[in-house]
Amino acid sequence: MTSARMTVVAALGAAALTLTACGGGSGADSSGGGDSGGGDGGKVTSIKLVAAEYSKTNTAKFWDDFAKAYETKTGIKLEVQVISWTDIDQQSSTMIQNGSPPDILNLNVYASYAADGLLYDADAVLSPDVKTDLIDAFVDSGTFEGKMYGMPDLSSARALFYNKDLFAKAGIARPPTTWAEFTDAAKKITALGNGVVGYAMPMGPEEAQAEFSIWLFNNGGDWKSGDDAWSINSPENVQTLEFLKKLAVEDKVTQNNPGRTNRTDGAFSLFGSGKAGMVVGFSPLSATLDEDKSIDYGVAPMPTNDGGEPQTYGVTDYLMAFKKPGNAAAVKAFYDLYYQPEQVNTFIKAEGFLPVTESGLAEFASDESLKVYLDTLPNVHLTPTDDPEWDTVKLAVQQNIGAAVGPDGDPQAVLDKLQEQAESGS
Amino acid sequence: MSATSARSPAGSVGPVTARPTAPGSLGVADGSGPDDPWRRKRRPAHGHASWRVAALWLGPALLLIVGVVIYPAIALVRASFNEYSITGLRRGSAGWANYANVLQHDDLVTVLRNTIVWLVAVVTITVLISLALAQFLAKEFYGRRLVRWAIIVPWAASLVITARLFTLMYDYYHGILNTLLLNLNIVNEPVDFLGDDRWTMASMVAVGVFVSIPFTAYVFLAGLHAIPTDVYEAARVDGARPWQTYWRITLPLLRPAILVATVLNMIYVFNSFPIIYTLNERNPGFIHDTSITFAYKLAFKSAEKDVGMSAAAGVFNVLFILLIVVVYLRVVRPQEELR
Repeated sequence: MTSARMTVVAALGAAALTLTACGGGSGADSSGGGDSGGGDGGKVTSIKLVAAEYSKTNTAKFWDDFAKAYETKTGIKLEVQVISWTDIDQQSSTMIQNGSPPDILNLNVYASYAADGLLYDADAVLSPDVKTDLIDAFVDSGTFEGKMYGMPDLSSARALFYNKDLFAKAGIARPPTTWAEFTDAAKKITALGNGVVGYAMPMGPEEAQAEFSIWLFNNGGDWKSGDDAWSINSPENVQTLEFLKKLAVEDKVTQNNPGRTNRTDGAFSLFGSGKAGMVVGFSPLSATLDEDKSIDYGVAPMPTNDGGEPQTYGVTDYLMAFKKPGNAAAVKAFYDLYYQPEQVNTFIKAEGFLPVTESGLAEFASDESLKVYLDTLPNVHLTPTDDPEWDTVKLAVQQNIGAAVGPDGDPQAVLDKLQEQAESGS
Repeated sequence: MSATSARSPAGSVGPVTARPTAPGSLGVADGSGPDDPWRRKRRPAHGHASWRVAALWLGPALLLIVGVVIYPAIALVRASFNEYSITGLRRGSAGWANYANVLQHDDLVTVLRNTIVWLVAVVTITVLISLALAQFLAKEFYGRRLVRWAIIVPWAASLVITARLFTLMYDYYHGILNTLLLNLNIVNEPVDFLGDDRWTMASMVAVGVFVSIPFTAYVFLAGLHAIPTDVYEAARVDGARPWQTYWRITLPLLRPAILVATVLNMIYVFNSFPIIYTLNERNPGFIHDTSITFAYKLAFKSAEKDVGMSAAAGVFNVLFILLIVVVYLRVVRPQEELR
């Protein structure tokens, strides 16, 4: 009797273990062969790239073509693994835990990896003429403790998208240039009724740091002050977050529950369906909207609080190279080929993003639809990706800032807490 | 991978449906007679198989168990005692620090409360609905085969896809549920099923019940078929009313099936990752997370981004569900059924 019961308990225990082990999602099987290390200090015969999937249609295709070109040129095989943005953090972390990082990793952060001593710096793997071609702002953001580790693969800049039909219906002549005008325009559009909202504000976990960044830069704020200290709860930033909360709670010109709306499936889809007057977007959104042809939209610089010069918020992602025995030359050849205009610009064009090189700027200049971004790209404001602490702060912002724009939200308290977290380094 | 793992109870259904004589069997509750061909197979005429033959037959299964159960469990425990950088790089031994960090986490109480509410609500509602549903499906009626198949469908669909479909149906602006409620004038303005704190857990529980019903209902259905008809005849002769028959005969005889379905559902619902993760994706922090999504977020999404701490939370998860199952088995005293 007891033994039968023991069997049951043991069987259930095993079942619990199995389910939990799988549910936790270790994904250890996907790291691929770690066969790229030469081991004997000789040259490697193959390297591995783990790339983020910007689009289903273009990313894998580009990298596959690139791998062929790379192999033809160098005789080294390039193994490509494309991973979706939702999974890439988890997968790259697992690869490093298992001691088998790829040779090249494409991600939106790099500083933690540099701080852990895992990466080659540009002096080792980037040809001088390639480095001089990179736009200075991106060299700066890729530099950690005096050395460049984060090689930019592409960039994007944000701007204000507005629905021209809704603007005409509401009798608004031109896109707003100040926050007062912005609020006014949003109110007029919301007043049109029929479920239309003035402004679609995504402050949910997906990209809240981006939404907050573009607003705070246009209020003279920043994540860090000039002397490299965190300034998350600066008066400008608190004022910005209070303004956003006011839009949501008092003026009621945003969609329902902006603190719990994500960007892609929330704010963008509302704007794309013609239900939102304004949204902060970037060039890939243009590409989607142009393809759908469902709404007539315009793109304008962001309004500023005091009507001053509009500030652009930009994002760049990185291709970082992991130190592994014998792979330095192969990695260098990878960068040499990637930064050839016909490679890097083809990739960026296909994905609908913005260039990272001076030669790319020149090449893209003829594209009228990108003018609004390109003019400001060299002076673009970036988030402090060169500080490893940002990798943590960014996650804390994503998970917490949405609460500040709810009915019971307290912008000052939320920013104070984030500031405290950033300063304590946890 | 979570989607497939959550399907694991399916494995235990095999014997149930194939052998209606042993409802909800874990392989121990074997009520079949000596003529059962299944039993005869287990006793080969030539006595014991040699260890070679035994190893040959057991080998693949043992390898699988070592690979997918024992190794991950060891790796989990090992990771929980190590300190990891945000990149996943191992920095050295952490001692018990990861466990202490989990226990001192600000949101631990919220997460535990969510876990209990989720577990109790989903399992209880699933069992109650499934009991009624199995009773209905056991009756002969025109189109029964079709209805039976229809009930299997949610089981066959991937959990992630099911959860995605529900986020669309629950949507504040475009969701079919809100359109329906508005058109029927049940509500004046849309309900924010996934963003309003009053509704989020209930909305997730509804999906949890929806995907748990097929398995549970089929276990009960097999259990109902196993109840001998002569018992019911005797009850009818004695003049028992339908409700009495159900309460005094059906339910007691269904006890083993209920027990097994409850225990398996507890494990399966507790470990359900895709539903909570997908439906709760847009909400900040840990306000609606259960201990499973909590562990995942600790590793990859929250500011902690700490694999070691997440592994410690994973160990707590295993201990937690084991404890709950053991307590449940003690309370319901399954000895009689599982002897």
